[in-house]
Amino acid sequence: MSQLQVRFFTENAKYKVDDVPFSIPAASQVQDLSNIINKLLEAKHTGHSNVEFDFLVRGNFLRTSLVNHMEAEGISTEEVVEIEYVQRFMAPQPEECIMHDDWISSVDTESEWILTGSYDKTARIWTQEGKAVMTVAGHTDVVKDVAWVKRDGVTSLLLTSSMDQTAILWEWNVERNKLKARHCCRGHAGSVDSIAVSPNQTKFCSGSWDKMLKIWSAVPTDKEDELEEQRDRPRKKQKTEQMGLTRTPIMTLSGHIEAVSSVLWSDNEEVCSASWDHTIRLWDVETGNMKSTLTGSKVFNCISYSPLCRRLASGSTDRHVRLWDPRSKDGSLVLLSLTSHTGWVTAVRWSPSNEQQLISGSLDCVVKLWDTRSCKAPLYDMAAHEDKVLCVDWREDGVRAQHANRLANFVYINLSILLKETFSVQFPYALWTILDCG
Amino acid sequence: MVKFLGSSRTPAAFLHGDIRNTVGNVPMEWYQDYPHIGYDLEGKKIFKPIRNKDELDEFLDKMENPDYWRTVHDKMTSTDIRLTDEQISLVHRLQSGQFGDVNFNEYEPYIDFFSGETMIHPVTNRPQDKRSFIPSLIEKEKVSKMVHAIKMGWIKPRKPKESDLQFYDLWAKEDPNAILGRHKMHVPAPKMKLPGHEESYNPPPEYLLTEEERLAWEQQDPEDRKLSFLPQKFSCLRSVPAYSRFIHERFERCLDLYLCPRQRKMRVNVDPEDLIPKLPKPRDLQPFPTIQSLIYRGHSSLVRCISLSPSGQWLASGSDDCTVRLWEVSTGRCMKTVEVGGAVRSIVWNPNPAICLVAVCFNETVVLLNPYLADKLVYNATDQLIASYVEPEEERPQPVQWQVPEIEDSDKGFRLIITHPKSVKQVTWHSKGDYLASVLSDNSNMQVLIHQVSKRRSQNPFRKNKGLVQCVSFHPIRPYFFVASQRCVRVYNLIKQELMKKLMANCKWISSMAIHPGGDNVICGSYDSRLSWFDLDLSTKPYKVLRHHKKALRGVAFHKNYPLFASGSDDGSVIVCHGMVYNDLLQNPLIVPVKVLKGHTLTHNLGVLDVAFHPTQPWVFSSGADATIRLFT
Repeated sequence: MSQLQVRFFTENAKYKVDDVPFSIPAASQVQDLSNIINKLLEAKHTGHSNVEFDFLVRGNFLRTSLVNHMEAEGISTEEVVEIEYVQRFMAPQPEECIMHDDWISSVDTESEWILTGSYDKTARIWTQEGKAVMTVAGHTDVVKDVAWVKRDGVTSLLLTSSMDQTAILWEWNVERNKLKARHCCRGHAGSVDSIAVSPNQTKFCSGSWDKMLKIWSAVPTDKEDELEEQRDRPRKKQKTEQMGLTRTPIMTLSGHIEAVSSVLWSDNEEVCSASWDHTIRLWDVETGNMKSTLTGSKVFNCISYSPLCRRLASGSTDRHVRLWDPRSKDGSLVLLSLTSHTGWVTAVRWSPSNEQQLISGSLDCVVKLWDTRSCKAPLYDMAAHEDKVLCVDWREDGVRAQHANRLANFVYINLSILLKETFSVQFPYALWTILDCG
Repeated sequence: MVKFLGSSRTPAAFLHGDIRNTVGNVPMEWYQDYPHIGYDLEGKKIFKPIRNKDELDEFLDKMENPDYWRTVHDKMTSTDIRLTDEQISLVHRLQSGQFGDVNFNEYEPYIDFFSGETMIHPVTNRPQDKRSFIPSLIEKEKVSKMVHAIKMGWIKPRKPKESDLQFYDLWAKEDPNAILGRHKMHVPAPKMKLPGHEESYNPPPEYLLTEEERLAWEQQDPEDRKLSFLPQKFSCLRSVPAYSRFIHERFERCLDLYLCPRQRKMRVNVDPEDLIPKLPKPRDLQPFPTIQSLIYRGHSSLVRCISLSPSGQWLASGSDDCTVRLWEVSTGRCMKTVEVGGAVRSIVWNPNPAICLVAVCFNETVVLLNPYLADKLVYNATDQLIASYVEPEEERPQPVQWQVPEIEDSDKGFRLIITHPKSVKQVTWHSKGDYLASVLSDNSNMQVLIHQVSKRRSQNPFRKNKGLVQCVSFHPIRPYFFVASQRCVRVYNLIKQELMKKLMANCKWISSMAIHPGGDNVICGSYDSRLSWFDLDLSTKPYKVLRHHKKALRGVAFHKNYPLFASGSDDGSVIVCHGMVYNDLLQNPLIVPVKVLKGHTLTHNLGVLDVAFHPTQPWVFSSGADATIRLFT
């Protein structure tokens, strides 16, 4: 049995071992290495409890035996191998299941509340325990996307967009549990499939099936914008139908030649949109010009941007999650392809606090948790859903973290939405707990 | 002798003015009694020299003159000549029978001048005679005489000799460069097997048969035996007996040589790959649908027809469960279900993006349905358009009945109901979205009707029944109309009202038809599992017939933008083909089957009933008898 010279190191001071080379069997698996570290730690500190570790060889997670991994990566087995170890990311567990009457099209989380949009033409606000707090009814068609704008004391602003070609800005008084439609944003000529609020919470952007992106003000006012169209309709009828004051877009960004499927703000001045025309476009909101185009080969369903690692993740109909560098000007735009899903990737979301983690949901009913350091396979598959996953989101949860594990910094709850075929069955969406003990 | 001597001396005597014999070679006795002998040039007598020698003098001379023996009397000139030593030796040599010339060597090596060798130089240097190159007149005369005689028939040609044996060159006509030339067709005689160890008189023990092997060998038929003899061991070569089978083996060998087929087998060594026409690899023809992505579930019976909205956001489907369902393409969500009064035979979305209408046909009716799935402005405008119809003053007789639906139907979205006299099996829109054609399943002269929605008028364009019409289609650009009957597709010009072309499909029963968006190519699916591609510019025969399906084809479709077409069949598969049509008229369309898509389960021996392409993406939808619609991307 061949032996390899390795040296272990870690960032976590608590689990430091002596910096000496060890000779270990070449065929060691992750579990063997983990046992070695635990033995070393036991010898060092009495009262050490067993901890599962994961191992990184030159920035990539070890998933096979050590010698196979090094062969695959082309690392020489002659020298001393530097192996970093981190505490293993625990498998996420289904925590809650919130039942809906109909398909859930979108979800957005805030520290305390969860907002979901549904195909029954309403949006709902839930507590994080899964208790329905409020039903947002007002749209005349399916709610396609929802977003929290901001929380200002006892009032929260939230946005819903719908297939009825409008987005509505709502004001929710948390204390009195009163909801009021403040503005009805009209202007799109197709279903508004995606909305995103700017980081400074003063504007939002909407992407629609009519190939347009529109930038709107997210600040509620009492002034009504004049709408030129629909003059021929009886004014009275229009008034009764309308929810809140009409608002018109600040700016319209056109350039996509197919439906816009997803929009987001990468910073206060830049909007990024993914479309069915196989492109991701970056727009300058100040000037309204298109900055650059990332071209793929298939329809993009969703994009997500992480300000931590400054990368875009896209999910497309060819079943891959791709990572892009939106700022690179050279030809190689795709940094990584994450391939494991067997259906269209309908939702991706970067972790808000960990620059290496993202989750993706797909029509194959599986939510996958990825680490960019192990791009060959996902860290975990979350397969509790029985139908297509349409949206996923992360949430920071400080309270839960404290009594789950004192040393845990964050607990993330992943909300992914279950879809069911028949209407009689309640539609659950699941809350997953992921304990990151970094 | 005398003459010889005299002639040899003559020039000298003449020069010195000697008396010369002028009488010639006559006997000298004639001049015995004369004092002269001959005459000189002046005619004077030449007198004999005075002969003063008598017998005595002669004798004295004989006795005293030592040269007497070599002195001879020349009768011609009557002088005495003393012979020189050379002359004497010459006389001696002649007397002894030798050659006169001293220097002559009679034994010299023989030079054979007239040998067989051809000399490079002529023997003589004489120039050629003139006569050798001037035609002879005499010969000419002779020839002309013979020619005249031949002409006159006096000379008959010689009878040709009859040879009794005819020979010819057997190989005269053989091409020396032929691949199968005699010299190349040599087949060597089969080689004899070389002797092995078992033939040895002292074979290694492993070659000797054991008792059982020997018994088995004896029981075998002589033809089946591996060895024709039993290996035997002898102590020395001397003790080997005569080989009893020698004559037999020689005879067998002779038979082998004699009966060996000396004919080369003409085996064609063609790589089967070479016979397949060179087609590009499907990999290079992307994008095309490759995998099933979504299943639209909800219908409870077989889904006969599907249609995509012009924007590509919505999908309409009609089923035998008497419902029309409207689906969101991207999620597979059924947005609306509309109950209709019968099994839906055909459903078509209006191709004009400014009009939101779906034509649905069931039983005897065609319903124009507003699904309210588009821009609000568009569907409201559509409602207004239909409501703004003004009744014409004079009522025309119509083959069908146009109705505005009742309130409850109107709430379902019905906008117009066209009631036909017989059941309708297909509807199709014109690309402008105003005209609508319907096909009646009736074998009469009213099988095809064309309706104009804005004027609510219908007409029967064909007076005569030309076979059972299967399906019809409008040309995407020009005012042409395609009518597929069981065996052929007729192309009519609607403006000139005449038959333009008749495409013979070479199949038993056409089931479906699709027109290329360019308008110059048509595909037809048939119930005998063929798909025929017609190039209208090329011929009325199919340019290509594809027989990839195992069972009857039910639906064919062209993609609007991508060079793709698809066919769905009862065997449950959808076959997607790359069908590139070039603008260059000289280049024929390139047709490459790229993908077989499977997913539908067979129900009542029916598989896929309809196929449709997404208007903008390379996606294909198929509806099946298993009550599902599947999206392949």
